[in-house]
Amino acid sequence: MAQSSLAIKVENVTKKFKLFYDKPSTLKERLVFWNKKKADEHVVLDDISMEIQKGETVALIGVNGSGKSTLLKMMTKIIYPNKGKITTYGKLTSLLELGAGFHPDFTGRENIYFNASIFGLTKSEIDARLNRIIEFSELGEFIDSPVRTYSSGMYMRLAFSVAINVDADILLIDEILAVGDQHFQEKCYAKLQELKKSGKTIVIVSHSLNSVKKLCDRAVWIHEGRVRRDGNSTDVIEEYMKVCG
Amino acid sequence: MFKELYQYRELLKTNVKKEIRGKYKGSFLGVLWSFINPLLMTLIYAIVFPFVLKNTQEHYVTFLIIGILPWNWFTLNIIQGTTTFLSNAGIIKKVYFPREILPISVVTSGLINFLISCIIIALFLIFSGIGFSGYIVYLPLIILAQYILMLAIIFLTSSINVYIRDAEYIINFIIQMLFYATPILYSTDLFPEKIAGLLKINPMVTIIECYRDVLFYHNQPHLKSLLIVILTSLILLLINYRIFRRLEKGFAEEV
Repeated sequence: MAQSSLAIKVENVTKKFKLFYDKPSTLKERLVFWNKKKADEHVVLDDISMEIQKGETVALIGVNGSGKSTLLKMMTKIIYPNKGKITTYGKLTSLLELGAGFHPDFTGRENIYFNASIFGLTKSEIDARLNRIIEFSELGEFIDSPVRTYSSGMYMRLAFSVAINVDADILLIDEILAVGDQHFQEKCYAKLQELKKSGKTIVIVSHSLNSVKKLCDRAVWIHEGRVRRDGNSTDVIEEYMKVCG
Repeated sequence: MFKELYQYRELLKTNVKKEIRGKYKGSFLGVLWSFINPLLMTLIYAIVFPFVLKNTQEHYVTFLIIGILPWNWFTLNIIQGTTTFLSNAGIIKKVYFPREILPISVVTSGLINFLISCIIIALFLIFSGIGFSGYIVYLPLIILAQYILMLAIIFLTSSINVYIRDAEYIINFIIQMLFYATPILYSTDLFPEKIAGLLKINPMVTIIECYRDVLFYHNQPHLKSLLIVILTSLILLLINYRIFRRLEKGFAEEV
């Protein structure tokens, strides 16, 4: 079966968001406005299907609000589609936001444990990666200071170092590569190239088209909730630039 | 479900640690506060209530503390647990992990706190001269009953609170009311048989009575009532867990 080489399968997925003008979240509002609950529906993704093979690096591109981040969130099972089905094969890590679960009063080292455990790592797995993470973050002696004393750049560096060292089969990345200074960004892309070479599946949402073109082989252009073009990243990005640039 | 929970066991562990330590980080006495608080509460009741009620209870302070510490675990956790999905909105929106972890770690951190505070109960038992009896072997069973009951309640209240924010205020009120309907300041013997029977609809009544039997009166606890509480809690847990599974799919959009 071709199934074994599949990483992500998206079948006829539709996602709607309800647009409440004034969302009722208390009992009073629900009771008083019970007959006014006609919310507008906004279709973010409209009957989308795609298959991503193991080892592919795919860029999702499109203008703001086109639904690419929503698609990514559904792949990680943070939100669920209204219609259709998404199946993923293998261990999946999503980097939607850096530093999820960081507690400002704990040290960098302690937060590595918190953050990595959210990605589903066990203690021994984190122990094994600890040195690599600290080294990658270049935080040096600051690793034992509370995170609240960090600059925002240091914070991001630590968070990215944890996320990139999780070693999942599938990596979903959303707009987080604008991290730190030039030197650290280059390091991040080099790391992603390395992961790509080791056969990981990477799906990335980004607006920095040039870097994405270098990293990804395939690009999917999502426009108003539908796939507008799917193919070789150089071609798709070129056409996208012509239309939207 | 269990397989996934096992895979995420490190998250459960660090989250429990965070619940226990993170809450008091920065304060001078730190975790000690979770023991000083119930002690101060006991002190207030021990001073006030003998004046208000005609109190004939021997060793009233020890009697009180055996009721207050489990109750303290109950209230703090229910209130904290009900809002757990909202207070963790940041990670719920951004990362996938089994959401069950959050309610479970609230109740588990409460359990660990309670186990440590059992030292206080032990000290009171020793210094009041009441001492210990063999019936203490039933203690783990009683604690287990309370754990399951609380988990069942929190799975429901926390899920509902995501959609209807009033839930936490309603629950705060109910818990305050239950405090007086549970034999913490008094003993159920005060009431005629019929009313005492009515009170027992509240499972915490049976649980507190069992703690008192085992620790204070050195009696065999009423095992039939305790088993009924455990059984109903388990059934409740099953139902409420299913409700939670239904509702959890919308969490990231609602919190």
